[in-house]
Amino acid sequence: MRKPIIIDCDPGIDDSIALLMAFASDKLDIRGITPVAGNVGLDKTSINAMKIMEAAGFDCDVSLGASKPLFKDTKDASFVHGQSGLRDIILPEPQKKPTGKAAWDAIYEEAVKCNGELVIVALGPLTNIALTILKYPKIKGLIKEIISMGGSCGLGNDSPAAEFNIYADPDAAQIVFQSGIPLTMVGLDVTHQAVILLDEINEMVSQGKKIDLVEKLFNMTANFCKQFGFKGAVLHDPFAMAYVIDPLVMTTKKFAVEVETKGKITRGKTVVDIYNVTNKEPNIDVGMEVDRERFVALVKELMKKYEV
Amino acid sequence: MRIPIIMDCDPGHDDAIALLMAFASDKLDVRGVTVVGGNQTLEKNTLNTLKVLSFAGIKTRVAPGASKPLMRKLIVAPEVHGESGLDGPILPEPTYGVCGLSAVELMVDIIKNSKEKITLVPTGPLTNIAMLFMTHPEVKDKIERISLMGGSAVGGNWTPAAEFNILVDPEAADIVFNSGIPITMCGLDVTHKAQIYSEDIERIRAMGGKVAVMVAELMDFFALFHWRFGFKGSPLHDPCAVAWLIDSSLITTEHCRVDIETEGEFTTGATVADLRPMKRFNCNADVALDIDRERFIDLLCELLQKYD
Repeated sequence: MRKPIIIDCDPGIDDSIALLMAFASDKLDIRGITPVAGNVGLDKTSINAMKIMEAAGFDCDVSLGASKPLFKDTKDASFVHGQSGLRDIILPEPQKKPTGKAAWDAIYEEAVKCNGELVIVALGPLTNIALTILKYPKIKGLIKEIISMGGSCGLGNDSPAAEFNIYADPDAAQIVFQSGIPLTMVGLDVTHQAVILLDEINEMVSQGKKIDLVEKLFNMTANFCKQFGFKGAVLHDPFAMAYVIDPLVMTTKKFAVEVETKGKITRGKTVVDIYNVTNKEPNIDVGMEVDRERFVALVKELMKKYEV
Repeated sequence: MRIPIIMDCDPGHDDAIALLMAFASDKLDVRGVTVVGGNQTLEKNTLNTLKVLSFAGIKTRVAPGASKPLMRKLIVAPEVHGESGLDGPILPEPTYGVCGLSAVELMVDIIKNSKEKITLVPTGPLTNIAMLFMTHPEVKDKIERISLMGGSAVGGNWTPAAEFNILVDPEAADIVFNSGIPITMCGLDVTHKAQIYSEDIERIRAMGGKVAVMVAELMDFFALFHWRFGFKGSPLHDPCAVAWLIDSSLITTEHCRVDIETEGEFTTGATVADLRPMKRFNCNADVALDIDRERFIDLLCELLQKYD
């Protein structure tokens, strides 16, 4: 049986790769996409989600989410993703229109329909998911799990202590992390290991001509990552999606995790109690080790779908 | 030329070993010892300092300093160091007492009367050092460097985000890290790799002298706490700050900016080290990340040998 999922995202270049993977997978039943503001504004992330969908020849409901974080405004990641969110990738304007429903209403409806089987894959800030939990407290028993790309046990990226998605809305993240809904944190500790090397990208795009979009997304990511000393493309969001499709790409360990919302220099840090010094009940499955070869093989396999 | 230093400590099992190493090394010239409240109360730490020095036949000026942190209540660590602050071996009463000056007065006296610049080696909370800088800013010019044990680039030990010494007095740490004086930060990143194993303890015990046997007995007690966390041995936290001064080739460091979180809900006391792979600004610390454990233990044994 296909896994019913909602993809909550802010495309975004690596989000777009994750979307292409999801559309290509026969393991998933995509019940909807709920864009959120994050990498760039909601006006752009929603259009980008629909553009990628149409370029991939896929269709599902798109329901718009939050245009800003819960409490405090934040900066976007146009530094990484360009002003449009897709850098210089030009795609036709989408024909598709959003449902008109709010993201939180769409998520709740699907959760009810799926009878406790719905999985939420959250690839951006957790604003939409927090609002869903706040509006529909009963949803807690109806979500099978949340897979969140975000956070870090160690260093941050957007600030020295915090990873971008959590930093963008720490208050939302804390609501979601403490909600009691099973949550797997796919943080920088693992995504920094989820690198597809340059020659692997070349091999993938040259074996069977694919739509231009595929090559552009991967090469753009690799080019951007070069300045930080990586030898390929670091695939944050695609790795979270890979874990949903094939849990064997990553090992997890359960720890008590809190999200710092108040600190002067640590706001947005995911505080992971590795040694259990707080004696709090572990609440989050934290990604630990990556099977990189398996992950890259899965990416290659899924991209075959986009051969022309 | 020997490096002139002041030890500022809160013995404490690992502080005691740091003191013994510093006094035994022909690379260092320990001009005095100041004591601070931390692992145990100031009274207990002062008595322990005098006992250890007396037992090892070391005569120096010892001055007690702050009994509590600048702004907060004192936290002590009886779980680690016992009720006395130095549980394990029974040591005789000290053969001499404190020098009559306060910690700040003694530091000022040593610094002003020294031809060379002085290096400070704090192995407890940074209260005394912060008070020195606040009350005698003029001495900063005559301080070469601070080699301290405290903090952590990744993770904590007393809370998930903070290491004990910095957590006890984060405001003092903030003052010290913004003092403009170069800092070598030996935090948990390196001290958790500087473990003493059971076989090392037996090697020291077998040396047979009374100081070596005392150190072995201190380590027997210290190990009980650390086994709880699944450590193979006990981290020799404080000796790292001394070892780096004696032989910097033992320890790998990275130059970066470190700031102290003083306002976090879950992160107060975190030393946020900006180790991200990008251009670094306003660097204020050399953060120790790795140690040659075997050579470090050899150095410890070699120095302890000198007492017999």
